[in-house]
Amino acid sequence: MQLHAPQVAFEGFDGPLDLLLQLVEERQLDILKVRLGDLADAYLMRVHAMDALPADEVAEFLALASRLVLLKARSLLPSLEPPVEEEGETEEELRARLLEYATTKERAAALGDKLRAGERHFHREGGSPVDMPPRGGDSGALAAAWAKVLALAARAREEDIVAPAERYSVDQRTREIEDLIARHEELTFGTLLGEQPTLGFAVVTFISLLDLHRRLVIEIVQDDLFGEITLRRKAPRREPEETTAP
Amino acid sequence: MRTPNAIAAEAVLFVAEKPVTLRELARSIGATLRATEAALEELDANYEGTGLRLQHDGDGWRLVTAPDTARFVAAYLGADRLRVSAAALETLAVIAYQQPVTRAEVEGIRGVNCDQTIYTLMSRRLIEERGRREGAGRPIEYGTTWEFLECFGLASLDELPTVLTPEGLSTRPVPVPVAGDVEAE
Repeated sequence: MQLHAPQVAFEGFDGPLDLLLQLVEERQLDILKVRLGDLADAYLMRVHAMDALPADEVAEFLALASRLVLLKARSLLPSLEPPVEEEGETEEELRARLLEYATTKERAAALGDKLRAGERHFHREGGSPVDMPPRGGDSGALAAAWAKVLALAARAREEDIVAPAERYSVDQRTREIEDLIARHEELTFGTLLGEQPTLGFAVVTFISLLDLHRRLVIEIVQDDLFGEITLRRKAPRREPEETTAP
Repeated sequence: MRTPNAIAAEAVLFVAEKPVTLRELARSIGATLRATEAALEELDANYEGTGLRLQHDGDGWRLVTAPDTARFVAAYLGADRLRVSAAALETLAVIAYQQPVTRAEVEGIRGVNCDQTIYTLMSRRLIEERGRREGAGRPIEYGTTWEFLECFGLASLDELPTVLTPEGLSTRPVPVPVAGDVEAE
């Protein structure tokens, strides 16, 4: 299962502590009472029986082995207490580690059980951001807009009624609007469109407005959603250069 | 009947695409932190016997599906079963019960090198880096993720299974081990 972890589960043991714990369990010993040194022979036998010691952990296996041998030697010769407690793990410390490791194994097993039971949670996956409709629209305006669209669609297509030569150019329309706005200061989009605009006329007018807005000639205000669009002259028309010059 | 705060909190958690902090939730529903906590407790109790559960990790809260509905939701989502090796489970157990922990602490408990299992758990997003421990070397500390809670069907870390150990019933957390004898690489 764990293909990427060659160092684990070596010969069925996941490290020296695992091997020691397994020896305790195999012999049905009480981990709190057993003299760990008594397991030294069994431990060494198992290490010896391994085909090849894992290179990464050979030192740890052997360190634990030497610790066990030392513990065993002390228990056989209790009179030979070392004068000063030497460095390294005492039996109690080793036991504490083993107990902690045993707890960890139990917990890992409990987690594994939960995983195998498959009773997991799921959360809501983050979806793609939703394009929210503008807030505060009113359905009456929507209906009116739809009615206009229907009316527009009901009319003859402009290709049939407008000869190619009469088509509008954006430049021409822009100049017209610029003149109008110069005189009136404020206009509505509705006025510019007139009563029965063709689609082409409306599009050209709209593009002209965008252009004028871009050139800072007008500002465009729409107070209400779907409401009338008001166009205001942005700055007083600049007088020709030569007249302002002293 | 639920209280208005609980109803409001449920609605906010329903649309949330990421965990909501208590503070965010309180601000959204216009309640005090204390009242929001009470609302969450109420919701939590209410979800027993439904398809939903309230999940929390630290300060974050979110709605998740109930564990006993997993196979249906998995069938709908086409989700694969997560598999974790025994070695990775051991490393995960240390991190889950004793977080935040450093790699050296995990290795001290397991008695083996844990580079690979930590890497595996990280790549499966079951654990994450939590910052650095103050002190020598400033080692990285690891903790579990939302993904972990989710995959193991835990509503929160409080639900980590308790196990019987030779010392008796062990509850989380056990003292973090002395790292002195495991620093050597």
